[in-house]
Parts: sequence; C-alpha cells; structure tokens
Amino acid sequence: MKSISRVLCLTLFALVVAVAARASGQMANLKPEQCLGGKPDAPIRVEVFSDFECPACRALYLDTMRDVLKDYCTSNKVCLVYHEFPLQGHKHSRQAARYTKAAQKMNQKAWQTLIEAFFLNQEKWSADGSVDDIAFKALGADQYFNLKKLLLDPAIETEIDAEVAMGQKLDVQSTPTFYVYALNKEQKVVGFLPYLMLKDFFDRIVK
Amino acid sequence: MKIMIFQIIHWIFRIGLAGIFLYTGYIKLESPLQFAAVLYGYKLFPTDLILPMSKYFPWVEIALAILLLIGWKMRYVALAACGLIMAFIAILAITYFRGIEANCGCFSFGDRITPLTIVRDGLILLPALYLAAESVLRSRQIRGQSAF
Repeated sequence: MKSISRVLCLTLFALVVAVAARASGQMANLKPEQCLGGKPDAPIRVEVFSDFECPACRALYLDTMRDVLKDYCTSNKVCLVYHEFPLQGHKHSRQAARYTKAAQKMNQKAWQTLIEAFFLNQEKWSADGSVDDIAFKALGADQYFNLKKLLLDPAIETEIDAEVAMGQKLDVQSTPTFYVYALNKEQKVVGFLPYLMLKDFFDRIVK
Repeated sequence: MKIMIFQIIHWIFRIGLAGIFLYTGYIKLESPLQFAAVLYGYKLFPTDLILPMSKYFPWVEIALAILLLIGWKMRYVALAACGLIMAFIAILAITYFRGIEANCGCFSFGDRITPLTIVRDGLILLPALYLAAESVLRSRQIRGQSAF
C-alpha cells in the first residue's frame, strides 16, 4: 500500500510540475500609440478592460495603475494598455470612451490626463452627463478643440466596438478585468488588485 | 470483507482529497495575482497579509495533498485538512452573509460565493473528517493494544 501511495504521489507531483512549466499567453503586436504608458517592447504588458462609470475601475486606475504608470511605465518596464469596455447599463460610459479614444490619437499625455479626469470626477459626470465639461477643464482650450475635431472621425466608434469585441472574445464578463503578460505567461485578473501585489509581481521579473 | 470495504473507502477519500488540494493549489499557483484579488475581495484580511497569503497558501495545499498521498503522520495531516476546509467554509459564509459579492476562488476564479459553494465545501469536509476520525481511532487502538 505504501509503494502505491508513493507512486501516485510522484506521478501527481510530476504532473503539477509539467503543467506549471507550460508556457501560455500569446501577446498580440502593439503599436506604440496603443500603450497608455511604456512602449510595446517592455518586458511586461498589462491590458486592462475598463468602464469609466464602474467604481472598481476607478479604484484600479487611481490606486493601482497610476502608480504602475509612474514607477514602471516611465522606465519602460511595463507597457500599460487600456481597452474601452463600456457596459450597457452605464449611460455615459460610451461617451467618455469616445473622448478618451480621441485623446489617445493626440498623445499619451492627453490620454492619461483625460482618463484621470474622468475617474476623479466619476460621480459628477456619471450623474449629470457632463463629459464634455470635464474634458474641457482637463485638457485646456487648445487641446480640447483639437479633440473635438478628432471626435468627428467615425473610426472612433469602430475602434471602441473592436475593443469590446476583443474583450468578449477573451471572456471578459465584468470590469475591471486585466491581463498580465510576462515571461510568455498570461494571467487574467478580475476585479481590483492593490498596487502592492502588482509591484511584488513586477519586481520579481524586472528589478 | 468489511475491512476491505473500509480500505477502499479510505483510499477513495485520501486520493480524492489529495486531488482536490493538488488542483486548488495548482490553480492558485498558476494565477497568484487573481488569487490575491480574490483574497482582497473577501474584505476580511489586512492588505499587508494578502501578499504572503497569496504566495505561500497554495504551497500549503500542495504539501497537504502530497502528505495525504504519502500517508505520513496521517492523523495530523487529516486534522490539518479538516481545519483548512473549515476555515474556508467560515470565510465564504462570513463573506456571503456580509452581502459582499466576491469570487469563491475555490475550483476556479469565476465562481461567485453562493449558498451552493458553501454546501459544496461542506461536502469536501466529510472525507477529511472521516480520515481524521479513522486515524485518531486507529492511534487509540494501537495505544490500547500496547498498554496490554
């Protein structure tokens, strides 16, 4: 009986090691303008599916991803990608998504500024729909008028639809959901994660 | 014949329980960040504790699985398994009754905590209780025999 248990144990342990060593997670090629911070050749990539009216998405951006941008993206250790995933029940989410998609076409700084402004003022504009006011205050007159021109581009709608479809294909069922790609492995995380956990994970890969 | 049936039950429970611990430990090791997010979602542990828990807890489950299969110090291992499952049930029940919508993090990370997930963990407790009771009774029997 003892030898049976040892054989069983060794077989199962070998199975665990073999499966754990399995590499997965194919990263799609990115263009530099798709990164909210960092560059596509960064050793770690984080792809977030987020909705501007979702409170957990707000917490994830303000408490976690803002620090990731500051501590890891500026040194190109992490490429942070934000995908629009406006949920059906949220009245003004899609509008906010349109604005940030247009800001993405301007530059990384304008995109970050607008995302931050939408999350910081989430309660206000999600109640009264003042997306436009928030964008004007955050970007200033020059950039705002530039943004308004870019908003006329019908490609923006198509791009948002494509990102939603991509999320659905990846089985994103709620927001925030994010994928961490590193060392040829993929990790899916649903919900909020404190910065401390991500930092510890990143530091084990890029010191 | 009766002894044979008990032997079969013993091995089914041991292998089954070890398989469960091995699988649950493995999925947590594969997705440490998601496991940390699940622990955070319970809103029960301080943030500082979540990091070490997410790192070391899967290894505790795998170690328990291996020890269950080897059969070393069965009495203590079975009691530890009971303690662990009871702690799981308590955490899930507390989270559910506090009205927190969180992931169970038991067999996959997509499971929401429902009364059904709590009952399911209760059923997993049964083989662990059986193994613990059996090993405690056996050790008492051996002690009784050696006293004569």
